[in-house]
Amino acid sequence: MQTSRARLFKEYKEVQREKVADPDIQLVCDDTNIFKWTALIKGPSETPYEGGVFQLAFAVPEPYPLQPPQVRFLTKIFHPNVHFKTGEICLDILKNAWSPAWTLQSVCRAIIALMAHPEPDSPLNCDSGNLLRSGDVRGFNSMARMYTRLAAMPKKG
Amino acid sequence: MQNQNDMVKDEAEVAASISALKGEEWGCCSVEDEPSFQEEESAKVPYVGDKEPLSSLSAEYQAGSPILLEKIKILDNQYIAIRRTRGDGNCFFRSFMFSYLEHILESQDRAEVDRIKLNVEKCRKTLQNLGYTDFTFEDFFALFLEQLDDILQGSDESISYEELVNRSRDQSVSDYIVMFFRFVTAGEIRTRAEFFEPFITGLSNATVDQFCKSSVEPMGEESDHIHITALSDALGVAIRVVYLDRSSCDNGSVTVNHHDFVPTGTNEKEEEASAPFITLLYRPGHYDILYPKSSCKVSDNAEK
Repeated sequence: MQTSRARLFKEYKEVQREKVADPDIQLVCDDTNIFKWTALIKGPSETPYEGGVFQLAFAVPEPYPLQPPQVRFLTKIFHPNVHFKTGEICLDILKNAWSPAWTLQSVCRAIIALMAHPEPDSPLNCDSGNLLRSGDVRGFNSMARMYTRLAAMPKKG
Repeated sequence: MQNQNDMVKDEAEVAASISALKGEEWGCCSVEDEPSFQEEESAKVPYVGDKEPLSSLSAEYQAGSPILLEKIKILDNQYIAIRRTRGDGNCFFRSFMFSYLEHILESQDRAEVDRIKLNVEKCRKTLQNLGYTDFTFEDFFALFLEQLDDILQGSDESISYEELVNRSRDQSVSDYIVMFFRFVTAGEIRTRAEFFEPFITGLSNATVDQFCKSSVEPMGEESDHIHITALSDALGVAIRVVYLDRSSCDNGSVTVNHHDFVPTGTNEKEEEASAPFITLLYRPGHYDILYPKSSCKVSDNAEK
């Protein structure tokens, strides 16, 4: 309990320092609970997510950093490795490849990298994975783009 | 706008039909990680067990391979006891941890503690130079250094042998020290990437970075000679590994092989002068601690 809290406090201070360095990530700690964080990440350029801002929810378990944070998308996203309904993310570092060398900030970076490089062979969203696996990049891009417009971009007019 | 909605609908239908066709045969990434049978089994064994007479080893193989039984007989001449560790993928690091700290507790070798502390500081600089953020590893370093200080007698915090066993079984201490070793090992492999690369590509077809990220830094990832070499070099501690497997010589004679991992920079005289004070028993997939018979260790601990 003590160690996870102390570690998260260090991450909090680091986040304040890194704000300028990494404009694509805005990581915010809950006012009353240091185990709850949210992040706003920018969709990577040259992907169907470009121009979108996606919200992530972090729930940090007590054994952190020995165990990974639980992270999910709050913003709807069409991506092979993100569950379409729950926003859960299939990413090795959030499971068996986790190590304390990762931080909440670097997890955000890894999720942005996952957005740019989907892994259709381990899909959580089978529809999305199947489009890519059947080689329909255009179909995938257009679906992903549509949901980016619908859910991750400010409504126009 | 109307137009766009129609397009969207079409897209969705296409996607749905494709998934109906192929969703079944392409498995999905499962969200729940159920504990495996192995994990459940290993949870019944403490991280670090009690010291057991070596006869407990032969009891395990009563109906087993004659080669193994013969090898255990040979071991029986040289070793007096075994201490088992949990088979959770951290057994090498856990065995090293207990064996090293127990040695310091029994020997009260302050010179060795001073020496390893210098190496630990070097490891800290190594990680910093590699670009690791301080706060990601400093708690793990601090906890290990704290154990060293607590184990040396003469201060108010000095701990007993029982307390060392307790701490080694307490996840919040034990796992943190295992993680400290994992950081140290990864740092050594990364700084000497050129040296380790051929071993890593021979083993796993991964790059040095991938190997450290997937097989060294995460808890529960098993160790082999790459990890042992790196840890031994980084901390400057020699490790003897005794191999218990079914291999035998062509002429039918049975011997028990061992390999000494001697830190780089050790000169031959030093190497000859003393056998490694850490001896581990390797059986394919697992490491336990062995206790040599005629050792200079002070055997005044509670267990016998």
